[in-house]
Amino acid sequence: MPSRGVFTGTGAVCPLGRSAPEFYRRLLAGESGVRPMTEEERRGLQATHVARCDGFTPQPEIPPMKARRFDRGSQFAIVACAQAIAESGYEVAKDPESIGIALGTGSAGAGALTEFLRVLLTESPEAAPPFHFPNTVANAPASQVSIDLKVFGPNVTVTQKDPSALNALLFASLAIGAGRARAMLAGGVDEWNPFYALGFDRVSALRGQKRASGIVQGEGAFAVVLEDEAAARSRGARGLARLAGLAAAGVPTDPYRFAPDPDAMTRAMSGALADAGVSPADIGLVFPSRDGVDDMDAAEADALRRLFGTPPPEIEVKRAIGEMAASGGGQLVAACRAVADSGGPFAGSGRPRRALVNSFGAGGNFLAAVIEAASGEAA
Amino acid sequence: MGNRRRVVVTGLGAVTAIGTTVPEFWRNLTAGVCGIRPLSLFDASSYRTQTAAEVREIPDGELSPAESRRMSRADRMGIAAASEAIAAAGLDLSREDPTRIGVILGGGTSGLLDSEEFFARHLEGKKARPSRVLNHLPDAITDRVAQHWSLQGLKSTITTACSSSANAMGYAFDAIVSGLADVVLTGGSDVLARLTYGGFNSLRSVDPDPCRPFDRERRGLSIGEAAGILVFEEEERARRRGAPVVAEFLGYGVTSDAFHMTAPDPSGAAGGRTVRAALASAGIDAGRVDYVNAHGTATPQNDSAETAALKTGLGERAREIPVSSIKSMIGHCLCASGAIEAVATALTIREKTVPPTIHYENRDPACDLDYVPNEARAADVRVALSNSFAFGGNSTVIVLARA
Repeated sequence: MPSRGVFTGTGAVCPLGRSAPEFYRRLLAGESGVRPMTEEERRGLQATHVARCDGFTPQPEIPPMKARRFDRGSQFAIVACAQAIAESGYEVAKDPESIGIALGTGSAGAGALTEFLRVLLTESPEAAPPFHFPNTVANAPASQVSIDLKVFGPNVTVTQKDPSALNALLFASLAIGAGRARAMLAGGVDEWNPFYALGFDRVSALRGQKRASGIVQGEGAFAVVLEDEAAARSRGARGLARLAGLAAAGVPTDPYRFAPDPDAMTRAMSGALADAGVSPADIGLVFPSRDGVDDMDAAEADALRRLFGTPPPEIEVKRAIGEMAASGGGQLVAACRAVADSGGPFAGSGRPRRALVNSFGAGGNFLAAVIEAASGEAA
Repeated sequence: MGNRRRVVVTGLGAVTAIGTTVPEFWRNLTAGVCGIRPLSLFDASSYRTQTAAEVREIPDGELSPAESRRMSRADRMGIAAASEAIAAAGLDLSREDPTRIGVILGGGTSGLLDSEEFFARHLEGKKARPSRVLNHLPDAITDRVAQHWSLQGLKSTITTACSSSANAMGYAFDAIVSGLADVVLTGGSDVLARLTYGGFNSLRSVDPDPCRPFDRERRGLSIGEAAGILVFEEEERARRRGAPVVAEFLGYGVTSDAFHMTAPDPSGAAGGRTVRAALASAGIDAGRVDYVNAHGTATPQNDSAETAALKTGLGERAREIPVSSIKSMIGHCLCASGAIEAVATALTIREKTVPPTIHYENRDPACDLDYVPNEARAADVRVALSNSFAFGGNSTVIVLARA
């Protein structure tokens, strides 16, 4: 099976830290970025908890004067992508057309959108602030990254529920496979927004006082640099991890409902394993999609038992960073660092250095990926 | 290239201001009918402009009354266009492997019009229907289409503003070529909303009269709405089942301008890169291109920058071929514009007729190509480009060809 690409850099701005190494270290230490909502955040909601990037500052990656031009989501994305590029050592300026970007998001643009509409609806269309309008688009963060880092290659944003970041990774791997780019920034970005929180609360998606089953919303940005393996080798880049396999499965269902369907979840996982050319015994670690929606979590546990019998050890990411369209990016960054970590969850275990990442969301949207050590020690 | 899987278009569906079926849309498009009229969907009296290319009646035949009540206008238009495209392709989806069929669409404002009403009531402290609050999430339409036809393959929604549905088609192409799917329903559906209507007005980029692409006196765009759905199918299987092949999707180029969030690169360098990426993806020279379906929004900046981009990307060939903007008739359908313009481009190839740019009167020295003014023209178009440029500098060019 031909490689879908090698990961050479990672970046993270999230409730568990402001860099990929910090996020990964605190995740393994069992820390959580979930906290009680402030009174202001809770206004009108039954939800009680949230995971936010408290105290985030865009410096040093973005100078203060420049940072004012970007909304919060774009700041997250620029910082995470700049970190990923720095770790990869990719020289963007040498050939800006050779590198592109694909981010998943469920909320980018929400701040600008709600502010523009607030003025338009409560004052008048003429009073609506024009500078907000261009930032109402979901592709604002990825495009601000492309402008800031001078990335000339493919540039897309994907929105398809919770697994949007893995969906963006799929786009990126296809773009590299088709020769549209030699490297792609991939990942996800989300910003917490009070009106979106209200919406999710009203459709009974959030865990809280009246509801034991549901998600805790997160925010942040995660990025990886995915490169064509031969191109990475020829520039002497050190691969952290390899994208071995990726697959999607859909369930026909209402966009706002969950489809706790273990068959479709198994189809996504088996598809990723088949794409990687490996069997369940070749997987040494699982990053489950588990996010607090009871029937979805039960269906996933069922699907994992069916696939593995006794599933390998797990690292739960959403417990620590919350759920969002970008969360799969967090699992992906953690998986890349785990398979590359000599002292981490694989150390001394004898288990294959290969991880399965599940990202299952509302509307019957399921993706799964297989990430393995780049050094050839996966088997 | 020899063994690469190829992708053909086997079905088209269209819901627009000048026709809610493909035959009606094409008849009016080639007759130069303008669909830009006074806006009726919401009260526009307090906006700077009051016109739009609005769809007055959505053909809901595919839906039960309960279903159509639950869905947004964007969902309903998308389902109608998908239904037409599936029928035209001769596909009996109940007999296909549902895991091999994907849905990849461009996401637009979705049910934002309803959410705006919720939002307005909420801001006034009134009770509002919670079922409407998340209606504007752009991926709803993709899930709805998959749900309606019980499809179980990859679902994706591309959200790159005005190039969303062009990129969705590119993603669909790559998904089929790579073997991830055999059939993909692709394109997009995007509808009028106060946000986008007010947004372009606030940027002073809307013409109070119907827009005049490439005309020296052009003053901005006209907002429109549309659904355009295309059935993409792996060629060998389409041939095997005797499908009515409309055109081949030869390839596409997607690039970042990396220039400015709203302004195009006036030199044409950025757009020229996109055109060249598209030609490279399709494996053809500029000399093979017979027609360009322009982005042609009729803003002063876009049309001159796009003209420069075509000269940069196609060289001398740009001066030899027709270039037209159907936005002069159906307005700028935003996230669905790439899709509905791809439908028009595929029909241009099949029907050997180039649709015109209407409202064209005055030649602009900065726009000096052949824009097919005011009247359709017979032309044996074998290879055509369709351009889509978006906020954020997300630029996409697709390549369609006679199969």
